[in-house]
Amino acid sequence: MTAKRLIDLCTTRQNPLVVPLMGFPGTQLTHSSIWQNEFNSDLQFRSIQALVERFEPDAIFYIMDLAVEAGAIGLPVLFPVDGSPTVRSHLVKDIQDLEQLKIVDILHDARVKTYLDVMQRMSSNLNIPKGAYVIGPFTLAGLMMGATELAMATIDNPALVHAAAEFATQTIIRYTGALVDAGADMIVILEPTATFISPKAFKKFSGQYVEKIIRSIEAMPVLHICGDTKHLISAMCETGAQGLSLDAPVDFNDTIQKIPSDMVLIGNIDPVRVMVYETPKGVEKAVHQLLTRMRGHQNFILSTGCDLPPETPLDNIAAFIKAGRNQN
Amino acid sequence: MEQPLQEIYQGILDGDQGMVMDGVNQALAQNIQPADILNKAMIEAMGQVGKLFEEGEYFVPEMLIAARAMQAGLGILKPLLVEADVKSAGKVVAGTVKGDLHDIGKNLVTMMLEGAAFEIIDLGTDVSPEKFVEAVRETGAQIVAMSALLTTTMPSMKDTIEALKAAGLRQNVKIMVGGAPLTPEYAHEIGADGFAPDASRAVATAKQLLAS
Repeated sequence: MTAKRLIDLCTTRQNPLVVPLMGFPGTQLTHSSIWQNEFNSDLQFRSIQALVERFEPDAIFYIMDLAVEAGAIGLPVLFPVDGSPTVRSHLVKDIQDLEQLKIVDILHDARVKTYLDVMQRMSSNLNIPKGAYVIGPFTLAGLMMGATELAMATIDNPALVHAAAEFATQTIIRYTGALVDAGADMIVILEPTATFISPKAFKKFSGQYVEKIIRSIEAMPVLHICGDTKHLISAMCETGAQGLSLDAPVDFNDTIQKIPSDMVLIGNIDPVRVMVYETPKGVEKAVHQLLTRMRGHQNFILSTGCDLPPETPLDNIAAFIKAGRNQN
Repeated sequence: MEQPLQEIYQGILDGDQGMVMDGVNQALAQNIQPADILNKAMIEAMGQVGKLFEEGEYFVPEMLIAARAMQAGLGILKPLLVEADVKSAGKVVAGTVKGDLHDIGKNLVTMMLEGAAFEIIDLGTDVSPEKFVEAVRETGAQIVAMSALLTTTMPSMKDTIEALKAAGLRQNVKIMVGGAPLTPEYAHEIGADGFAPDASRAVATAKQLLAS
């Protein structure tokens, strides 16, 4: 694929790209459950296509699912009918446990195949940039070990955290390679578990592995961490990501000054407080305020701080897009 | 501060379980009262941990290992506190709500509350409204603390509050809620008494609720 850069997508236009992180609300349009979309690639593609046809965003991602890679390496996953799947128990207590997971090739997993198929269909049928989500290495290590255990192990068993993150990295690289082959233009690495560690620990246990994944990706790499990530911004800039997708608690005014001008800042309308609970007027107001603050910065993509919940009112998504297009 | 108490205090700040247990044993050998060990060294240290967290000096891992070290010391001290009839700051039933398996936020809150001398009944994760009701009835807890990380499981907090009402227990307990997607407005809307944005401030919220 040609070496397209995220910044080039932004600078060729007058107005910022408008790309809400939606996927789940597509289930409203296909009258289906999240669970159905996670197992049926044709249905998930139709949910995504319905969102594209209705809202005409400037880029689109498939449904965010932080349990795909975890399930594929053999961790037990719980699938609520209308909620995000979650890893039920964490099997890795020591290095030996990790060895047992290493026998699996995740590309043989049924749900990994589902997502690869969704990407292939998006690539063949949609004329806007297509993005894929993959889990981040520290977050996958957290699903292997349990978040509390992982957090403590960063201090008292760093060797295990490194081993888990390295294995996670190899797993994720295998998946991203297949996603790019399936047509992904953009790979968004989701690393939410890293919010709770210090910048120093981030570099050690997440950043260096994220960088390794990014170096292997032949598509536009974006790093997404939700929640309050103010303390991690400069460490995130060092990962080689072309874009940072950040959440509502982060001050974009301040952050846009801190990041390099060829790195794109993506966000950060509050997905719950604004997108779910506000009226369309309230959404428009929030978008206008953000656009005003970002005026003059070409390295900005208007988005939501995190994935939109399934129940997000469709009128609010429409208001988001409309306000993003009429920025004056 | 006496030397063993200093050791406990420092051991908690460093997350060093061995140092804390040594300190507790030494303090007891020097006939320092269990209540003094708890109040002067442990609660004091956990307060400092909370402060360092709020200041951005400590992060979740540092807080967790500090709390773990405190619990190691508390393990030795607990039977003696019971013997000496030292009262807890209050009894708290805590859990992550139904459908939600995320435990780190709930763990941090219970550990910090324990570090402030609260007695914790930890119901774990995926806790149904019925389980909360049953625990309140059985333990006579003064506070129910609920956690949720997913927007899809937040409504279960309201269901639990309704279940406590239906069981006639609502007026007996104060309810506090927290979790990444929650807001003070949401807490108010579902009829909770308190909201805390993080584990350190959950301690202050719990104290306020019992004082009100």
